[in-house]
Amino acid sequence: MTTTDNAALSVRQLTFTYPETERPALIDVSVDIPEGAFALVLGATGAGKSTFLRTANGLVPHFTGGTFAGRVLVAGRDTLANPPRRLADAVAFVPQDAASSFVLDGVEDEIAYGMENLGVDPAHMRRRVEEMLDLLDIADLRNRSLRQLSGGERQRVAIAAALAAGPRILVLDEPTSQLDPQGAEHVMAALQRLVHDHGMTVILAEHRLERVIGWVDMAVGFADGRATAGTPREVIHDLAVGPPVSRLGRMVGWNPVPLTVRDARTLARLRPPHAMSAVTSAITGAPLVEVHGVDVQHEELGVPRPALRDVTFTLRAGEIVALMGRNGAGKTTLLRTMSGVLEPTRGSVVAGGHPPVPGLDVALCPQEPESILFNDSVVGEIRATLRARNLGGTDTAWLERLGIADLASRHPRELSAGQRLLVATAAIAATQAPVILLDEPTRGLDPESKAHLIGYLRTHAVEGGGAMFATHDVELAAAAATRILMLAGGEIIADGTPADVLGDSHVFAPQMTRVFGPGWLTPEQVAGAMA
Amino acid sequence: MAWATLGGIVAFTTMNPFYLLPLWAISWFVFTQQRVPGPASRSFRMFLVAGLMAVLIRTALVFLGPFTASNVAYFALEGLRLGTILVIFGTFNAVTDPFGVVRLAPRRFQEPALAAALALSIAPRTVASVRRIREAQQLRGIPTRGARALPALAVPVLEAGMEEAHVLAESMDSRGHGSGRRSRYRPQSWDPSAWAMALPALVAAAVFWIASTRGFGDLQPGTNPLHWPAVNPLVLAVEALLVVPGFLPRQGNARR
Repeated sequence: MTTTDNAALSVRQLTFTYPETERPALIDVSVDIPEGAFALVLGATGAGKSTFLRTANGLVPHFTGGTFAGRVLVAGRDTLANPPRRLADAVAFVPQDAASSFVLDGVEDEIAYGMENLGVDPAHMRRRVEEMLDLLDIADLRNRSLRQLSGGERQRVAIAAALAAGPRILVLDEPTSQLDPQGAEHVMAALQRLVHDHGMTVILAEHRLERVIGWVDMAVGFADGRATAGTPREVIHDLAVGPPVSRLGRMVGWNPVPLTVRDARTLARLRPPHAMSAVTSAITGAPLVEVHGVDVQHEELGVPRPALRDVTFTLRAGEIVALMGRNGAGKTTLLRTMSGVLEPTRGSVVAGGHPPVPGLDVALCPQEPESILFNDSVVGEIRATLRARNLGGTDTAWLERLGIADLASRHPRELSAGQRLLVATAAIAATQAPVILLDEPTRGLDPESKAHLIGYLRTHAVEGGGAMFATHDVELAAAAATRILMLAGGEIIADGTPADVLGDSHVFAPQMTRVFGPGWLTPEQVAGAMA
Repeated sequence: MAWATLGGIVAFTTMNPFYLLPLWAISWFVFTQQRVPGPASRSFRMFLVAGLMAVLIRTALVFLGPFTASNVAYFALEGLRLGTILVIFGTFNAVTDPFGVVRLAPRRFQEPALAAALALSIAPRTVASVRRIREAQQLRGIPTRGARALPALAVPVLEAGMEEAHVLAESMDSRGHGSGRRSRYRPQSWDPSAWAMALPALVAAAVFWIASTRGFGDLQPGTNPLHWPAVNPLVLAVEALLVVPGFLPRQGNARR
């Protein structure tokens, strides 16, 4: 062995091309991740992050095929010579969609599964399962079925299941993308414990840098398949990306560019913004959807479980409402009720004087955007919607609205998760329903796609439509919403402007609020007041 | 599992409608007594429909050959047998958690049991997936009924299924599946209720098997010439043993 003795993961001159594609996904990548590192992998959608993570335990190339040149050593073992199953005791991999990675049905069984495969002694296995339940703080879930867990719980069970067999290297693909801020904090805290107290190596990819940048001690940045490794500060500088505080730092010329809220506070003291510009007045457009006194109950084995309780509000023309709240607070249920596919148990939902007709009065983009894509080209998806609704108009106009006109002839399957979301949103937008709902449009969404989405929502609102999106992404809510609706346990607990609702919260405050106080929401707004 | 396999044998050995029809009733009873919430119990309805379809389609196939009363009866009874097997299978699918069965399986059969359990979980998963995708397309204004709607449902369902299978395979391999070593976490021993479920079914299957080889009890009523099949009360009583699981206390553990 050469210089890789204390590297957990050592990648040497790796160039990898997927089968049936021309362009390599990874180009001449050489990276060492030392033992005990907490490493962040970042970069735009499609830049090579996921591919890189999947080389770490040999899924690339053993599961993908393709052309693989170079060398990857994990814990000193060559991944070309060892398929994933023979690296399972050294490296654990948690895919983006934890739920579909589950093999069994019970929490304890799932945690034990990897150990069973490796032939761990039953008594030891029993102890180890207990340890994992404690380490990830999920002991109260032990007898539950995996299907009943919330997103954050699932993610922690997936980590426990991956770690139980004792690997010292943990690789995670966007572990917090489907989690509420609390759930994300829990997961990050658990990961940090693994690094600090147990000396493990953790490598994770993430788009929402504000959630992770303060925790990690090194970064690997990807742009078009090429990688640069270094401190988080160096990599953020190179890629010109970063959380809102970094964007602000760049706009107003702070040097060094701050990475965390704490960095930014020190700098902000030297240069506070001027007084805030007048708060925009409340939107008083025509009511599009009126929800009045709505209760919804889900049946579970004949036992009704309340999902929404006495929810009343009106969505008006010109509004963009962010629907927030923990995993399981009732966000999806509320969207489904508003769209007319779910009958409320009590109360009423009215759109234009009658119960909403799905797809006509209200259209909804589902949490898994791929579940509505069925044509063999992006533009075909728009045509399918227009045909179904007997609408004219040019199909490409809808793609332009979401900034994806260049994808028109591509096959939806080849696209990244973020791009597919934009395609699905365009297909939903083409219904020309006055009310557009989006259920957690955040998975795999890089900053550029996010900007396109926000642009579309604003256009829709300006043209007299109304929009509502469920999200865990406080920065998206701060940047896009005109109003925030917060749910807890199926009840509305806050309803107001982003400045009021987010400024008032410990958990949901965006970075600008944390640095400059209530009312400041976006870097653009602060930079404007500093000029 | 044992109940379903043995119940299936019972159905397989006979074409006498007076033995087959009670099996539908027994399946229904066991299902209503032991159902667990979730997509699994919805898939029972799917198997019920599949069972009825089997009867109808098999009967319809008679038009391909000479159309006589005895032919119709023969095809209908064969369809009924196939349908019965499907319904028994559906009952099993709806009332047990196949993953619980993996823990009951003898050690040597654990891997095939896991493969079987994963295969069985496809039906309820697909049912859930179809519902989800139908609703999503409805909210996009795309019609979801009729033949023209098929691609809008089938393509995403199949793609989601493929994607899921791929992620699952990756996950299993990443976690050492097939690495050659193997041990068991909390293996479940056969408790009295498991025996109470399997034993009566075993007796029933054995009796039917023997009866069919000895030509006892008119299990294979001839359809040429057509006659009203005889019923042996003793055989019917033995068949009734299959109903025992319906009387057992509901499995408290939601995962069983």
